[in-house]
Amino acid sequence: MSARDRILGRIRAAAAPGDRQAAVAAWMAAPGGGPRPHQAMSHGPQRLTQFMQKLDAAAATVGRVSALAELPKALAHELRKRRLPARIRFGSDAIFAGLDWGTIGTSRGPGRIEEPATLSRAEFGLAETGTLVLASGPDNPVTLTFLGETHFVLLREADLCGGFEDFWTAWRERGLDPRTLNMVTGPSRSADVGQVLQLGAHGPVALHVFLLS
Amino acid sequence: MSGPRVALFVTCLVDMFRPSVGFATVKLLEDAGCRVEVPPVQTCCGQPAWNAGDRENAKAIARQVIAAFEGYVHVVVPSGSCAATIARDFERMFAADDPWAGRARALGARTHEITAFLTDVLGVTEVGQEAPVSVTYHDSCSGLRSLGIREQPRRLLASVAGLELREMAENDVCCGFGGTFCVKYPEISNVMAGDKTRHVAATGADLVLAGDLGCLMNLAGKASREGRAFRARHVVEVLAGDLATPPIGEAG
Amino acid sequence: MSLHEATTPAFRANARAALDNANLQAALRGSRGNFITKRAKGREDLPEFDALRDRARDIKDHVLAHLDLHLEAYEAQVIASGGHVHWAETAEEARAIVLDLCRKAGAKAVNKGKTMISEECGINDFLSANGIAPVETDLGEYIIQLRGEVPSHIIAPAVHVTVPEIEAAFRKAHAHLDPDRDLSDLAALQAEARGVLRAKYFQAEVGITGANMLIAETGHSVIVTNEGNGDLTQSLPRMHIVMASLEKIVPTLEDAATILRILGRSATGQEMSVYTTFSRGPRRPGDPDGPEEYHVVLLDNGRSNMLATPFQDMLRCIRCGACMNHCPVYQAVGGHAYGWVYPGPMGAVLTPSLIGVEQGGQLPNASSFCGRCEEVCPVRIPLPGMMRSWREREFEKRLTPAAMRRGLGLWAFAARRPRLYRIAARLGAGLLSRLGGKSGRIASLPFARGWTGERDLPAPQGGTFMDRWKAARR
Repeated sequence: MSARDRILGRIRAAAAPGDRQAAVAAWMAAPGGGPRPHQAMSHGPQRLTQFMQKLDAAAATVGRVSALAELPKALAHELRKRRLPARIRFGSDAIFAGLDWGTIGTSRGPGRIEEPATLSRAEFGLAETGTLVLASGPDNPVTLTFLGETHFVLLREADLCGGFEDFWTAWRERGLDPRTLNMVTGPSRSADVGQVLQLGAHGPVALHVFLLS
Repeated sequence: MSGPRVALFVTCLVDMFRPSVGFATVKLLEDAGCRVEVPPVQTCCGQPAWNAGDRENAKAIARQVIAAFEGYVHVVVPSGSCAATIARDFERMFAADDPWAGRARALGARTHEITAFLTDVLGVTEVGQEAPVSVTYHDSCSGLRSLGIREQPRRLLASVAGLELREMAENDVCCGFGGTFCVKYPEISNVMAGDKTRHVAATGADLVLAGDLGCLMNLAGKASREGRAFRARHVVEVLAGDLATPPIGEAG
Repeated sequence: MSLHEATTPAFRANARAALDNANLQAALRGSRGNFITKRAKGREDLPEFDALRDRARDIKDHVLAHLDLHLEAYEAQVIASGGHVHWAETAEEARAIVLDLCRKAGAKAVNKGKTMISEECGINDFLSANGIAPVETDLGEYIIQLRGEVPSHIIAPAVHVTVPEIEAAFRKAHAHLDPDRDLSDLAALQAEARGVLRAKYFQAEVGITGANMLIAETGHSVIVTNEGNGDLTQSLPRMHIVMASLEKIVPTLEDAATILRILGRSATGQEMSVYTTFSRGPRRPGDPDGPEEYHVVLLDNGRSNMLATPFQDMLRCIRCGACMNHCPVYQAVGGHAYGWVYPGPMGAVLTPSLIGVEQGGQLPNASSFCGRCEEVCPVRIPLPGMMRSWREREFEKRLTPAAMRRGLGLWAFAARRPRLYRIAARLGAGLLSRLGGKSGRIASLPFARGWTGERDLPAPQGGTFMDRWKAARR
């Protein structure tokens, strides 16, 4: 008998009688069922406002971009404001492909050991907590999320969800299967030194979101 | 008197260390119109055995308490801890199919800590006393968390003319008594008691009050060793107007 | 730290040493209240918090009642996504599996995200002994690894370390850096660790993380961090190993959301921790980053034996740390005194389950049963009740100290005989009252030094209530 068999055998020996298969099937067939917090149910303009407030509470910054073509200008402005070099690294997401980046030097590919600024597109956002959801892959390599000193993230307003409930539904509908689904709520931080919270522990020191209407 | 017939479970600590708490409890009950009886077959609620893992002795003592008290409409206890043992733990001591479990549940439903009984059951809002003292209140853990006693003693204290309540920091944190815990782990218990006396002293109150004599003996003993200025009393003493009896740990 | 190194039987001595350790006491005082205030705020800001706790409890109860079925479903999903599942009955088996994987990956260095299961298995010492260098990447874990210590808290592993101690550890370990550099502020310390570890992320062949959850529906492992170290640990090396215990299963993504809603709030007061990462399998074809291999080590180590016992509810634990943050005993002595991997109230229940009550029996006794842990537990584990169950086991096995048993036996003998008890109480009250004399208190009492060592014993008023009542009402 393998370790697997012995472990499962002990679990089965301890189980109560009854149709356990049916109980599991019923549970899986009706995901959810937990209380849905009020703060996960925002709609319309209120959803956007809540998302921006939650980003702020998570020490992230946010700006709105009215058209995709304006992204390079907005990014250039943010880079200058933050005294960062006019360079950005991103993946092969089609949304960034046809843009005129002007004076910003661009490079493509995964994160590197020293990278002042990286750019990713988030699949979704959650107004409930100011959370960005990124899907790893060639379009948006996962290491860009963690190796940029400053991480810029583009989110289409249409991809903004109220909370976990509508997010999981939308996620399943989109049919993605990335190696990682990364939920990001603000820049990296730690309180391990002296129990005082400081930003930029291992990941980005700053997180800026471009909301595309 | 025609009010409810009430059995007093006086608790082993009050019986042996501070009978005046028992009499103050009786006075509060009688003032509220109760007929108080003290069943002679009572020793301890059995909590020391229960918490030490000695279930057989705990059950034997529980059966003794149940048999002696189940004939009364109400059982009142001047201790949140002992009241919680009777009201919550007795039933857990017996197997579900043991007839004693049902009797324990029935008794538990009629067992009350004194301040909760006065306010929640009898609807007492005024105790008609006057005491020009400043006090702080320590919420004993069992009463607070097992029985939800927090506002009741404060409401009654608010009716005492001249009394000022000053809340201390961390008033919901254990004082370090914990029954046998205080002698099994005296060093840890001592740190917890020291934190508590520091918080009491920081309020500048004359008195620390609580609903449990165990916590109070711990606080009074620690405070007197540290030379603190405040004194300790059971809350019923203040509510019953008994400030003549020397505070805990002092002789007349 | 591994099984044979448990110092749980010496809890009493450990606790005394902890109380005498000025640095530790300073660190504990410094952090005290932080977690409590933040959790209270997190709870206050979410009106549905307590309802979510009920739901989380129900999810975990469902999982434990159907654990075999969910584990099988989870395993099938991991395999379908190109990953591997390894089952380990014991810590020893888990160590062997991890070493074997590391060797296959040709590992000289292994990076580690925060994982208590790896602590439980003693992975670090074992890998080191086998010529592979483990590197802890969580900032707190890194600090204590440099100091040759183990975590003293399950989510704040270095909570016992003061800032000057961190500076000293860094100066000693980072000898290649300028000895005259300024490390006088917290930011400089964090930046230095960031720089040193950033290089190490690119060197390791294997990354080991724990898992806050395993999702049966999808085969995801989930980690929750604030630093991002767990993500760099799993994304840069060629192999990702997840070490997780059986009970980390949740059925669906929606159930994971329920747990996430209470986890961060209970731990640090955060609505969401910064990084919540769902990982499934190895990198996909065409992916420019991510591990080429994905392995999950599923550890039992005694947990399946807890099912259908009074300790089953302990397996609901989601490792938020709220119980220890609110525990006055933990606050007084810190985590190391508990002597094994898991400190505080959850450790006091779990440790005897995993290493035996003979070894871990001190822990469930070192509680005043104040109940604050149960009050804050996000999955409503009745921690004090389970500690009491351990005391019962000890009493049945005659592990309770003899003096305690004798004292308890004598007391119970009298308590079960009201007439005898009356006489004993009368004698005791009289004697102690006389000892108290005019002061009304007793400063020293043989056989009660536990009490009188650091506090006076208030003397009885004299005469028992029962006698006085009888006399007054006759």
